[in-house]
Amino acid sequence: MILVQQFINGLVLGSGYALIALGWTVLLGAARLVNFAHGQLYMLGAFVAWFVMEQAGVPYFVSIPVSVLAVALLGAFMQASMTRLVMEQNLTSLMIVTLGFGYMLTGGAAILFGGAPQTLDSPLQGMAVRTGGVWFTLQDVLILACALVLFAAVWLVLNRTRIGAMVRAIAEDPKLAQLFGINAPLVYLGIFVFEAATVALAATLVAPRTPILTSMGFEEVILTFMIVVLGGIGSVGGSLAAGFGLGMFTAFFGTFVSPAYTTAAAFGFVLVLLSVRPKGLARR
Amino acid sequence: MSSVLACDRLTVRYGGKTAVDRVTLDVPAGRMVGVIGANGAGKSTLINALAGWSRGRPEVEGEVVLGGEPVSGLSAYRRAHRGLLLVPEGKGIFGGLTVEENMALVRTPADTRDRHAFGEDEIFALFPRLRERLHHKGTALSGGERQMLAISCALRAAPRVLLLDEPSVGLAPRLVLELLKRMRQLVDLGLSILLVEQNVRAALSVVDDVYLLERGTVVAHGPAEEMREDKRVVEAYLGRSDIEIAEPGSPHP
Ligand SMILES: Nc1ncnc2c1ncn2[C@@H]1O[C@H](COP(=O)(O)OP(=O)(O)OP(=O)(O)O)[C@@H](O)[C@H]1O
Ligand SMILES: [Mg+2]
Repeated sequence: MILVQQFINGLVLGSGYALIALGWTVLLGAARLVNFAHGQLYMLGAFVAWFVMEQAGVPYFVSIPVSVLAVALLGAFMQASMTRLVMEQNLTSLMIVTLGFGYMLTGGAAILFGGAPQTLDSPLQGMAVRTGGVWFTLQDVLILACALVLFAAVWLVLNRTRIGAMVRAIAEDPKLAQLFGINAPLVYLGIFVFEAATVALAATLVAPRTPILTSMGFEEVILTFMIVVLGGIGSVGGSLAAGFGLGMFTAFFGTFVSPAYTTAAAFGFVLVLLSVRPKGLARR
Repeated sequence: MSSVLACDRLTVRYGGKTAVDRVTLDVPAGRMVGVIGANGAGKSTLINALAGWSRGRPEVEGEVVLGGEPVSGLSAYRRAHRGLLLVPEGKGIFGGLTVEENMALVRTPADTRDRHAFGEDEIFALFPRLRERLHHKGTALSGGERQMLAISCALRAAPRVLLLDEPSVGLAPRLVLELLKRMRQLVDLGLSILLVEQNVRAALSVVDDVYLLERGTVVAHGPAEEMREDKRVVEAYLGRSDIEIAEPGSPHP
């Protein structure tokens, strides 16, 4: 039974990881951009939801769209302040600027929300399903379902719609895209907003599983980076697979070896995999 | 004759270096105008500046007027919406997208008064090969097919004026003239084209007017028939004995 239980844990962890990484998959993979404030946007997504629940007394399911909207706006603001760097695809400067932005967010959040650990309360977190010696919560089911639906939707949009073709065109050659009548800065803005919105959504779904702290975010951004690289940069399917793979690894390694070394071991696992398959899990 | 695209004392600099120096040029409606000149003369810099586009970071000065309206302040994608369409030198399509996706990227504008948006049928009639390649990625196309696709994408956007920067690069000599003649046919149907072309002999056989560019300035300008006799053109690009050999079937003998 412990195997089945760990499998379920891996599945839930993995879909959480994948959800957190989805925005970056599009951002780095399709638009060739980076945002190292990604982890802090995750933190903020969780805290905005927590804050409106605490202060305005809104229910959990209302706090989700509020948080997504707030963080999306912040993403738009970030992009607008970096338009020039974005258009020039100046990744080094973008890395520094977004890292700095992340630190500012951490500082701002500490002032605004305090340094104490909090809990983002989802009613589904308390609803557990126990059957045949295994158990999981309805929150776990929600995370898994959202991950599958969102990944499918993003894959479809990227590969089957004109907007998706625009994103891929901009990833390949933003200058040329202008000659095709495409407003490249606007598409970049859309991609940034999408990245911020999805990481906030991921935060509101995943964060109820553990206490939240304004200092969190570093682990999330590293995790995201691993998943995106492991999945084969830009591959939506690859990122989902990598998320699940990492989730399974964390669950089984944590149970059968030691939870203390999981991250280090996961990095080892990624290193080995990338040396065998430099392009990650993606088929391309 | 009304002018569809004109520029007045257009100057383009890269850093401190002047690549295009006070060029004044005019593309009359329904005409095909050629720009010729040696490598590095500033042909691409000029045609890109007209479109408000560049891969580098040039400083552009001077007025560009499209259909009577100044467009100098507009970015490249806005000029494209208004019907100023550039097919740039070299890579003009997206390799990661299929032929169909490349074409679908272009949105036909809502307002196409005095403009014609080429439909799929017209484009396939012009370039039958593209129909066979519809689901191939751009990277899988030959050099000539890429040029055809790039031109087709521009045509779909309902050009008022089409700017072509060396569309014949990489084509076999026989195909160069064929492509240019097809472009000429479009002009005879009402399109206006500004053509930059290395293959001067072929260019002279299809265009109405010619500008000769040297080190960033226009050193000669006139109707193609006259320019074909121009000493500088003959010496640098045609060679003495070639003047008489007009291309058979040329619309402007
Ligand atoms: N991005 C750039 N940055 C700096 N200088 C440039 C840039 N592009 C062109 N130049 C310079 O401007 C001048 C004109 O170049 P341009 O490409 O316009 O010439 P061209 O006539 O199109 O030549 P070709 O026939 O080889 O295509 C050249 O001296 C070139 O070195
Ligand atoms: Mg050139």
